[in-house]
Amino acid sequence: MNKVLGLAIAAAVQMTSSAAYADRANQLSDERVRQAIAYAIDMDTIVETLFEGKAIAADSMIPNGAYKADGLNAYGYDPDRARALLSDAGWDDSQVLDVVYYYGDQLTADLMVAMQAYLGDVGVQMTYRKLEGDVGGQLNALPEDGSDTSGVTWDIAYGAKAALALQEYYNGYRSGRSSYAPGNSDRDALVDAINATADPAAQQEAFMAFERFENSVLSDIPLYYQQLFIYESSRMSRNGGQYGNDQFNYDWGIVDWTVEPDSNGKEVLYTNTAPSQFFDHPWLNPGIYVFSKIGLDHLLTADGSLAPSGGQLAESYSVSDDGLTVTFDMKDGLTWHDGEALTAEDVVWSIETAKTVPGINAVFTSTFSAIDSMSVAGDVITLNMSKLDPNVLLTFSQFAPLPKHLLDGVNPAEFQQHPFWQNPVGSGPYKLAEVQMNDFVRFVPFDGYHSGIANIDEIVAFPSGENDGNVITNAASGRLDFGFTKSVSDVQSLEEMEHMSVIPADIPYTRSLRVNAFANISE
Amino acid sequence: MLTFILRRLLITIPMLVAISFLVYLGLELTPGDAVSHMINPEVANSISPEQLAEMREALGLNKSFFERFSIWLFNVVQGNFGHSLSGGVAISTIVLDRLPATLELSIFALLFSTVIGCSLGVISALKRGSPTDSALTVIGMLGVSIPEFFFGLVAILIFALNLGWLPAGGRLLPGYDSFFDRLPHIILPGIVLSLMMTAGVMRYSRSAMLDSLSREFIRTARSKGLPEWRINLIHGFRVALTPVVVLIGFRLPTLIGGSVVIESVFQWPGVGSELIDAVRGSDYPLVMMIALLSVFAVLLASLIVDILTALIDPRVRLG
Repeated sequence: MNKVLGLAIAAAVQMTSSAAYADRANQLSDERVRQAIAYAIDMDTIVETLFEGKAIAADSMIPNGAYKADGLNAYGYDPDRARALLSDAGWDDSQVLDVVYYYGDQLTADLMVAMQAYLGDVGVQMTYRKLEGDVGGQLNALPEDGSDTSGVTWDIAYGAKAALALQEYYNGYRSGRSSYAPGNSDRDALVDAINATADPAAQQEAFMAFERFENSVLSDIPLYYQQLFIYESSRMSRNGGQYGNDQFNYDWGIVDWTVEPDSNGKEVLYTNTAPSQFFDHPWLNPGIYVFSKIGLDHLLTADGSLAPSGGQLAESYSVSDDGLTVTFDMKDGLTWHDGEALTAEDVVWSIETAKTVPGINAVFTSTFSAIDSMSVAGDVITLNMSKLDPNVLLTFSQFAPLPKHLLDGVNPAEFQQHPFWQNPVGSGPYKLAEVQMNDFVRFVPFDGYHSGIANIDEIVAFPSGENDGNVITNAASGRLDFGFTKSVSDVQSLEEMEHMSVIPADIPYTRSLRVNAFANISE
Repeated sequence: MLTFILRRLLITIPMLVAISFLVYLGLELTPGDAVSHMINPEVANSISPEQLAEMREALGLNKSFFERFSIWLFNVVQGNFGHSLSGGVAISTIVLDRLPATLELSIFALLFSTVIGCSLGVISALKRGSPTDSALTVIGMLGVSIPEFFFGLVAILIFALNLGWLPAGGRLLPGYDSFFDRLPHIILPGIVLSLMMTAGVMRYSRSAMLDSLSREFIRTARSKGLPEWRINLIHGFRVALTPVVVLIGFRLPTLIGGSVVIESVFQWPGVGSELIDAVRGSDYPLVMMIALLSVFAVLLASLIVDILTALIDPRVRLG
């Protein structure tokens, strides 16, 4: 009887407690609390210790460079200031913040421990947990229309924003689109401003205004800018080809690359990011995987910082002054690797298909949604835009057209499951010669390439990638001549190898704390 | 014998159904589904709920658990194992592509561990109490207690990276696909995979051999003046072999299970490394197929052990 009574009391307490927290007031909705958290974390020390100096402490979401505003508050480590702000905000130190993350690496776990210690020092308790399962849903669930209660249950989410276009850092803040930043009409105006022009000077001004706004609002607390590290063996040479953001496509001069011949006199370059079960389509990550990088061409090319710099499949291109008409004049005699003609029809089909495929790159989506109509006259493609898209040229320097004759009729919802992705046909300087799925793939130069035949006899790619112990094993055993990584531990090991060199590259990849600022949080 | 085999094979059918249901249920209880694993969290907010629903519908994930399991089971019974959810490739194609690599590795490991394990076990028993016996006992304990992945990493470090004698990983290189080209690639993963089993077989065959050598018929054989090698190998070892065969038989399925780790460490393109990707991606048709394969291997091994035991020991009757 006593046991039953005890259980009933426990259940009642539980129910009361649940009811009390069903819509708990969120102290993080107070700007001063968010600022206090920023002051409480010593990112300079974390960068120097945990990251061994291989990251840059961040003072805004936008990376350092021409678009960075002067005089931003860097929120340097100041625990006393953090405590004062918390006191002003009436911080209830019995609250325990629920911090979530979705990376599985040790560095993230170490960062969580460090954050817990720093926040604990100023009287903010936190727990941390890795999201599992439907991570996207748990991070991005939106509140009901007009509600001030968050659609997600966490207080802070540690994550990254990897922007192909700088607008991507801020477009997600638009009212009704963010799971953690409540709608704000002032901010909506700033979002409009960064998307309203393609003029670099006007864009710079709009971005700087946004940075200043966010610098005090802190919807995201910027932590650090992650760097990309390109590694190469002493066997290979780019022969003057430029370095840049190797996660995307740019004019890196791979046709002219060379590698020392092996004992048989054959020039074979070893790399990674080969497929384990299927080739990833290039419309989400346009430049991560080996086939996308060397097997596919784009209408335009870009420089190392991804600024569009000229035609690739296009002989010439133009954008009207109002930005509403874009034309591409395709080169003559282009072919796919299987010998079929690569035409303007392929490009138009690719754009139309990409508009229906779920989960393509956000910059592509933004450009394609602005296309009103497309027309083809001979080799000339004309895009009629419903509104100016500041990133239209960037999109076409990264978006790879695919062969209509092999993919026509594909179900967009099963685009990645199409048999094409077992042995795809491309248009780039190297074509697939052999696919041993989950073992290696072998590329050879494409004889019909429009810009000359590539130098290296064979490129062999293995299916290892970032945060994969096989990168180090393969590099140490001479089975890796080129690759790139953001993993600090990989870089440390690669730097110890005499035959490998590591080249750091600044990329727009910002790690931050997404702070749930809605007035209430559902439990 | 034939009746026994048929009866055992028939029993496997309900067992396979029951186990496949449990595996399917386990997958159902894991958080997320194949679609949520396909979507990078950093771009998830650019996909509309309608698009997600379309993707789930296309893959049949919008149906209830029992409906999906029934459809899957019905298809399997008809010999249709379905398609991988992440890549759209027929499951049978994936398994047929990967299975030869896994079997190659497993058979190498099985042969190596059986020959070396039995030989060392017999030597250890015949030299009982000697420094050789003590050394082999210590080595056996180490072999059983140290995890295979650790052996694998150490082996790569020493034999591939420091000495450069053997490749660090992979099954073959482009243009090198003859048997002799492949041989260097299998040595390290094969030996590492067989280490724990070698140690087990060695310890088991040592004690079985000691037990056998203490029996009356050995004394009788000696009194008949038979040569010592004949007494040990023909009379002693044959009797000692029965429990060793049981051990080896039941280790057969674990060679496939054990190769999950070893395949990852040595970048071996087999079923094991595929299983890891499939579990991570909630690719349930692929996980189910590989799980069924493992279960079938266990049941088959059990049957083979019974038959071999009867063949080796005439006192054992199947029934």
